[in-house]
Order: sequence, then C-alpha cells, then structure tokens
Amino acid sequence: MSDPLDTVADRPAHGGLPARRAMMRWAWRLLRREWRQQALVLALIVAAVATTTVGVGVSTNTPLSPYVGFGTAHDLATFAGVSSSETSAISRWHERFGPVDVIENQTVSIPGSIETFDLRSQNARGPYGQSLLALVSGRYPTSAHQVALTSGVATSLGLALGDVWREGGVARRVVGIVENPRDLLDEFALVIPGQVTQPTQVTVLFDAPGVAPSTLGSNVITPESVAQSNPVNPETISIALVTLAMLLIALVAVAGFTVVAQRRLRSIGMLEATGATDANIRLVVRANGALVGVVGALVGFVVGFAAWLAYRPSLETSAHHVIGVLQLPWVVIIVAMALAVVAAYFAATRPAKALTRISVVAALSGRPATPRRVRRTLLPGVVVAVVAFVLLGAAGASGGNGAGVLELALGFVALTVSVVLWAPFSLTALSRVTRRGPLAVRMATRDLARYRARSGSALAAISLGVLIAVVVVVASAARFGNVLDWAGPNLSPTQLIIYTPIGPYGPGPGNANASPPTFNLAAMDHDAHVIATSLGTRDIVQLETTSATLQHAAAGRSYSGPLYVATPQLLRAFAIPTSSFSPTADILSMRPGFSSLTAMQLVYGNYFDHAGRSAANHFVCPTSDCLANPTIQEVTGLPSGTSAPNTVITEYAVHHLGLTTLVSGWLVQTARPLGALQITDARSTAAAAGMSIETKSSMPTSASIIDWATLVGILLALGILAMSIGLVRSEAVSDLRILTAAGASSVLRRNLTAVTAGALAALGAVVGTVAGYVALIAFFRTNTLDGLSALAHVPVLNLLLLLLAMPAGATVGGWLLAGREPAAFARQPLE
Amino acid sequence: MSFLEMRNVSKVYGTGPTEVRALVGVDLEVDRGTLVAVMGPSGSGKSTLLTIAGSLEEPTEGEVVIDGEPLSAMSRDDRARLRRRTVGYVFQDFNLLPGLTAVENVTLPLELDGVAAHRARGVGMAALEELGLAQRATRFPDELSGGERQRVAIARAVVGHRQLLLADEPSGALDSVNGEAVMEMIVAACHRGVAAVVVTHDAKLAAWADRVVLLRDGRVVDQTEPSSRESGPGPHPPVSTE
Repeated sequence: MSDPLDTVADRPAHGGLPARRAMMRWAWRLLRREWRQQALVLALIVAAVATTTVGVGVSTNTPLSPYVGFGTAHDLATFAGVSSSETSAISRWHERFGPVDVIENQTVSIPGSIETFDLRSQNARGPYGQSLLALVSGRYPTSAHQVALTSGVATSLGLALGDVWREGGVARRVVGIVENPRDLLDEFALVIPGQVTQPTQVTVLFDAPGVAPSTLGSNVITPESVAQSNPVNPETISIALVTLAMLLIALVAVAGFTVVAQRRLRSIGMLEATGATDANIRLVVRANGALVGVVGALVGFVVGFAAWLAYRPSLETSAHHVIGVLQLPWVVIIVAMALAVVAAYFAATRPAKALTRISVVAALSGRPATPRRVRRTLLPGVVVAVVAFVLLGAAGASGGNGAGVLELALGFVALTVSVVLWAPFSLTALSRVTRRGPLAVRMATRDLARYRARSGSALAAISLGVLIAVVVVVASAARFGNVLDWAGPNLSPTQLIIYTPIGPYGPGPGNANASPPTFNLAAMDHDAHVIATSLGTRDIVQLETTSATLQHAAAGRSYSGPLYVATPQLLRAFAIPTSSFSPTADILSMRPGFSSLTAMQLVYGNYFDHAGRSAANHFVCPTSDCLANPTIQEVTGLPSGTSAPNTVITEYAVHHLGLTTLVSGWLVQTARPLGALQITDARSTAAAAGMSIETKSSMPTSASIIDWATLVGILLALGILAMSIGLVRSEAVSDLRILTAAGASSVLRRNLTAVTAGALAALGAVVGTVAGYVALIAFFRTNTLDGLSALAHVPVLNLLLLLLAMPAGATVGGWLLAGREPAAFARQPLE
Repeated sequence: MSFLEMRNVSKVYGTGPTEVRALVGVDLEVDRGTLVAVMGPSGSGKSTLLTIAGSLEEPTEGEVVIDGEPLSAMSRDDRARLRRRTVGYVFQDFNLLPGLTAVENVTLPLELDGVAAHRARGVGMAALEELGLAQRATRFPDELSGGERQRVAIARAVVGHRQLLLADEPSGALDSVNGEAVMEMIVAACHRGVAAVVVTHDAKLAAWADRVVLLRDGRVVDQTEPSSRESGPGPHPPVSTE
C-alpha cells in the first residue's frame, strides 16, 4: 500500500484550506442525508423568509412610497403657491440644472362631500413627471378648453368622455380618463400648463446631482433626505420584526442543532480520532448551521416570491397603485436572508463549542457529556434587566412623536437578552419546587433543568412569544382605556351620521360670536329624513352642538370626541330616562371612569381668546367662559363610537351656561349593517343637499386587537413548543428506553411528555408575562401624563388565557401526541 | 528505541466511592514492524490501554511516548496532528463517516492534514485498489458489506505513512473469513514497518501476533511470544489466555 506523499513538513498546522473543504463537504452531505432531522429549523427559516418577502412587499407597497412624488427626478421642491420669489427660484434652477417640471395643483371640492380633488396643470410629456401620469382612455388635453379626469373624479362629477365640465367659470370638454400609476387614490383633473390660476400647491421636479438640497431651500427634498427624516418607515419596522423573528428562530435552532450534534456524536468522535482538531469540529457544526440558513433562506425566498407573484394583482387593487413585479424592498429581503444565515450560524455555535468539550472516548461511545454542575450567577441577567428597565423608561419619558424609538428598540433587545439569561434559572427553580412531586413531574422537570442547553432556549423563545402578546394586550387595554382620549371604531355598522356644514364639533370656544354658516336647515332636515327612509329606518335623531367642549386642566392631555347636546329626543333614542341621572349633571358619558376624572373643564364662549396657563402648567379657567370640575355622570345607554354621542352636555348645562345650540347633523340607525350601495346613495343625496355623511371606518375595536394578540401569542408559544418539545425530550430518550425496559407503561411516557410541555409552557407564560409587565411598567412609569395608572385596565381574561389555558393546552397536546414506545433499544449506530 | 512506549501508565476514572482503576502501572513497548495483541476479560482495561496509547485519553499517571515524543508534552492540537500523521485507529464497528464515500473516508486524515483533495484522492484510490475496493470507492458506507467497511477503515488507518496502527476488536463484527482477512491486512502493514496493537478476545486472531499481552484488572499479568512468524503471514498456534 504505497502512496506518493513525500513530506508532511510543508503541510499547514491545522490542515488549512483542504481540511476546511473536507469539513464543509461533510457538513453539506450530512445536511442532504439528514435534512429531516433539521426540518424544524429549516421550516422555521423558510417560513420567516417567505413571510418577510411577502410581508415587506405588501407593507412597503400598500402605503404610498414617500418617494412616489419624485417621478424620475432626483430633487423635488414644493411651494404653497406661486409668487415672484418662487418663480425666480424656479428660473434659477432651470438655468443652473437644466429642465424642470412644474406641476400646479388647486384644491377643488366635490359638491356634497367633504372630499376634494386637484385641478392639476402638468405637462403630460414633462421630463420628470411623465411616470406620474397614465392614460386609461381617450387622450391627454392639448388646449385650454380640454380636461382629462381620473375615473374617481369623473364618477363623483357624473362626467364621461365628451361631456363638458364647468369649473370656476371655465367650460372644459372631457377628452381622456387618466390615472397616477404611482398612486391610484390620487384624484385630479388634468389640464395643460398655465390653466391653474390659483394654485394651492406647486411641485417642481428637477435634477441637481451632488447638490445638498438644504443649500437650495428648505422646501427642497431628495429621496435620501426623505429617508433620513423618516427613520421609522416600513423597511425599518420590517427589519426590526425580522430581527426579532430570527432571534426566536435562533433560540429554537440552538436546541435543534444541539440534538443533531448529539446524534452525530460518534461520528464527531471518529473525526477526532482521525485527527480532526477542535477547530475542524467546530467548523463542521457551524458550517452545518450556515448551510441550513442558506438553504432555508433561498427556499424561503423562492416560496415568498412565488406568493408575492400570486398576490401582487390583488394588492394592486387594494393598494390603489400599480406595483411592479420586482418592486420589492430588496435591501430588507437581503438583510432578512442574511439574518437567517447569521441566526442559524450562531445557533450552531453553542453546540459546536459544547462538542469540543466532550472527550473523544465519550464521543466515540455516543455518550453525551454529563450535565455539569455549573454555578452560574444571576447577575448578568439582573444587570441586563436593569439596563432594559432604564432604556424603556427613557423611551416612556420621551413623550412619543418619534422620539425615543432608539431607546425603545434597545430596551426590548436588552429585555430579550435578559429573558434568555433568566430562562435557565427558571428551570432550575422549577425543578426544585417540584422535587417532591409525582415521578413523571419530578423526572420531567429535572430533565428540563439538567439539559438546559435546549430546554433553556425553548423556554426563552416561548417567553418572548408570550412577552410580545402581553405587551400588545396590556398596552392596547391601556390605550383603549383612556377615557379622555377616547379610541375605537367611530360608529357601528348600523349607524350613519349626516352632517350639516357645521360638522360634529360645532363652532368651538372662541368662535361663539362668529356668524354660523347659513344654510336651509328645513331642507336639510327633509333630505336627512329622505336618506333615513331610503335606508329603511325611521330611527333618526337630530344632533345638536354648542360652542362648548371639554378639556383637562393639565397641559398635554386632550379630550377627543364631539360633545352633542343631550336633547330629549337623543335620550329617548337610547332609552335613557331623565330620572336616571342627576338633574344638575352637566355632562353625561358612557366612557367608563370618565366621571372620576379630576381637573376637568367645560370651556365655551370666547375661552380661547384669553386662555393661558398657570404656573403649574394648568389651563386657567375664568368663570366667564369656563366651568371647572363640571358634574359628570356615567350613563351606560349612550353609544360607544368615537363619532357617536358617547359624551353629551345636558340641557341643564346648556341653559345654566347660556349656550346656544346649533343643528350639526342627524344620527341614523338601521336594523341591518349598511351596504356599500346604500352608503353611496346616501352620500349622493347628502352631497346634493350640501351635507356630508360618515359611516363606520376600519378602526378595530380594543377587543379585537386584544383577542387577536392573545390568540397569536398562544399559537406562537404552542408552535414553538410543538416544534421544540421533541428536541427537548430526545435528550432523555435513553432514560425512556430504561423506563420502558423496566416496565413503564405508555401512561408514564405520556405523562413525561405532557409535564415537560406543560411545565415549559407555564414557565414561559409566567416569565413572558413578568417580563412584559416589567417593560410596560418601565415605559409607563416615566410617562408624565398618566404614569402607572395607565396600566390600571388589566385584561384579566386574556392574561388568564395566556397563563392558564395555554399551558393546559400544551399539557393536553403533549399527552395526546406522546406515549409511543422507543423504536430501538440498542445503541444508536454510527451509520 | 521502541516506536510506542507506555511507561508505568495508570488510569483512574471517578473519585472517592466511584473510583475505578482501569489501568495500573502498565508498561508496554511496541517496535516498528511488530504486531502486539492485547487480550483479557471484559473490564480488564484493554480498550483504555488502546485509547491512551493513541492519545485519545490522557493517563492519570505514567508516560506515553510515540516515536520518541512524549504525549504529555503535546498540546491538544499537537495530539490531533499526531493522529492525522502517525496513529491510525480501527474500531470494531468500523466507524466510517456516513456522509462520505469510501474513498473520502480514506482520504479524510490526509485532507485534515492539508493535502489537496485531488492529491489525497489519488492516494486513497491507490490504497483502496490494493485492498480490492477500487470499484466501491464512490459508495457510501451503508452501501458496503461489513468486510468491505472494515477494509476501508484499515485503509483509512494506515494511509499517509502512518506508523502506528491501533485496532480495537477489528474483527468483532465480522465473520471468521472476513476476520482473518482483516488480520492479514494488519500483518501486511506490519511487514511495511508499521507498529500495530490489536485488542481482541479471539485467541485464533491473537495467534497472528508477534507478542500477546494479557491484561487483568488493569494490570499486565503475562506477555507471551508465539513462535516466530518467519514462515510467512498466518496465525501462530493459538495462545492461551489463562
């Protein structure tokens, strides 16, 4: 047996590139041969990358891109109108940079509607704005007496090709139907340049490469400056969510790679016996992790892109603009794919290091390392938790409006790290608590504590899933529990409000002496009843308003919502007898807890003419125009919608304060939810009478947000559990063989899995809930307005679902899916 | 100087009441071209002796010297390099890496040692050809018979000028025909100057050795030298293990 090898002196000390190639090749072969063992991690990465591809495609294309107005230009300037200074600026840019494209808009109201559209003068062949125009039918206007309309404007105005549109004393023939392909909601009437006489906004498109926009004027922007001024954009949010998802996946993947590494223990031992160094061994496991990440990322992208291709046409319809096949945020997708590889790589790093600590002989015999009694300290977990608390507190103190986002993000990262650090100690504590429990409980919890490499990471992942759900649930409850700044759906599906030109808020304090708009109330009342009749109902209530509104004395708090008058008709409509409230009550409200608010003020008359703040930064309350601490009584019969009369001023207060009432609209209530056609007809009728209507918006209810968050949290936790419980139990599979050989029935085996699942779920629920509340307390305690009182609204039922129902479901699921007798009692073969 | 020297080697596992003395003061010398068989009842320390001799484990006491280099002076990476270049192992259950073909298994120590893949492959193919396995070179281990797998394992253990062959029950999972074939290969390697230590329960296989070492309770209780092998490859008369 001869070989041509001559000398070993010039070989690299650690094998160099040939050794690394050999290890990579083996890792790739193992992935191909044993991909089923890694199907869990692969599936998670595929799902995450696919969801990201579709998700960011939808999220960045659904709202209008902030760059949409640029057309093909690099610079965009906007002016509120055209004066000599603007004209000279445009001339300067033209001379300095070459062609400019000027687009002038004048806002025009649609009769009978609060909606408007633009009368737009634009060169359809302009150098930069061409991409903002597309011809649907007909042709572009070429003379002063021609116009092209968007289909929405044409419908609203009841015009078609060939019709004549009269606006501002000018008659124009409709020669085309157009659209803005970048924004299908952009409603406008296109005329040739120079035809807009009183522009309300002028957009100038030009190219000034290499010139800082700020040197040209504060109104000049570029795509780069837009991106810098809007750090919290869909791309940033997507990357943050992807990072969080990959963190969760990495936690599960640690357990997965640990088990895979353990199954290959004898191969690893053989490799070491053959002369592989520790670096070689680590490379095999890490390369395996990276390969799983690469394969998962590529397959995930392909799946996601296919889904994107299938969904794109529907998205174009719902997003109201044309979306290109490749119009995806590629940077986000590439970052997501890279994160998948990085997450899988780092998830494999820990088991890789652990493998090199196992002796070669133990590895060759397939014996996993005996769990070491490591005396780890809780200190790092405590320190990181304190850091998270401080950062989240700083975010809470920033007061919102985009500030504190960095602190918020870093705070959550620190909190996540803290949960990961705390997880092993929670398992140890649990095993101590249950040390006198029944056999199955004792064994299951002890195994969880002994093999913390995978159970700890699974627990951390479950805890993070619960944490997210708890934060959303409690924060939503806090937001929707704010009785002053009332949130929620505006109306129910069976309600419709018809507004007179006064609108829902009346003239407001400070305008009491202003002349109210003149309109034919009798005619409007008639038309309102016509609308109600057309909707098949006689349930119509006249809504009256005054110049009064509510405010909180503390600056920074604001009351939201209209303040209608509690007329006898309105009270009757909601079956509220006058005997149900105090005759001297000033305000009636259905908002729970509203009556207990202190420092409320009912302001009216000319309050805002002389309103100021006291030394304590409280609004002053002169008796001439302000009633301090009005008597507020809660009445459950009033409707809850934010636009509905959920809070009303009594007739007693109206008379007592000498207020004048004005008719601001009519509330129509139907037996069945309103259809789109009914709403369209009602809008047309209202428009013809100079009124406008409001119907239910898409704002979700607090219950729907909280319930969905709870459901997603439970499913996320159970999903992680379902995917990791097999890995967690696989470590103790030899124990299971011994138990079976010793005569243990399937009941004990079922109980072991059930307790393992239930214990992990319960512990994850507790750790996640505690961590979630730590985050919320840290954030709200520094909130100068509400402080911790904002957390007074505890969604008890939803928290109980997370804390009790989820672990119960995990326990039952574990019991039902476990109990199979081990397939083999022999030692696992190498091949 | 012997190629392998074990001087007063002891190995203790565990401490206190769980203490197990696997080897006690073992001295062993193996010269180049010599085949030593280690026999003894279960638990006598045969496999421990082999793993310590091959640097897979460290002795609690004593010294192991291979080719004049004491293992105690070597770092973990140095010992790994020693296994790549000098020491080859053969195990009872073959221990071929399932994701690699036969030739890739053979060339693994070379590639780990920095030999370019194409060059290592040439060497591996030559080794397999000598063992009559050239046609099976691209098969994965689970596509080979037990005898073929062990032949591949031997090829891997001796490829690349390695001078010390350590075999733990190399024929334990094989029938008698394949078992004898394996011993023939080991003896052939010894004829090329390789020092070999074979742990076996089988007295018939031990008869192939130049020297038989008997272990009991971790101690060397006897060393016998079967009659000279000058007559050529083949078993010496069976030796008694008692």
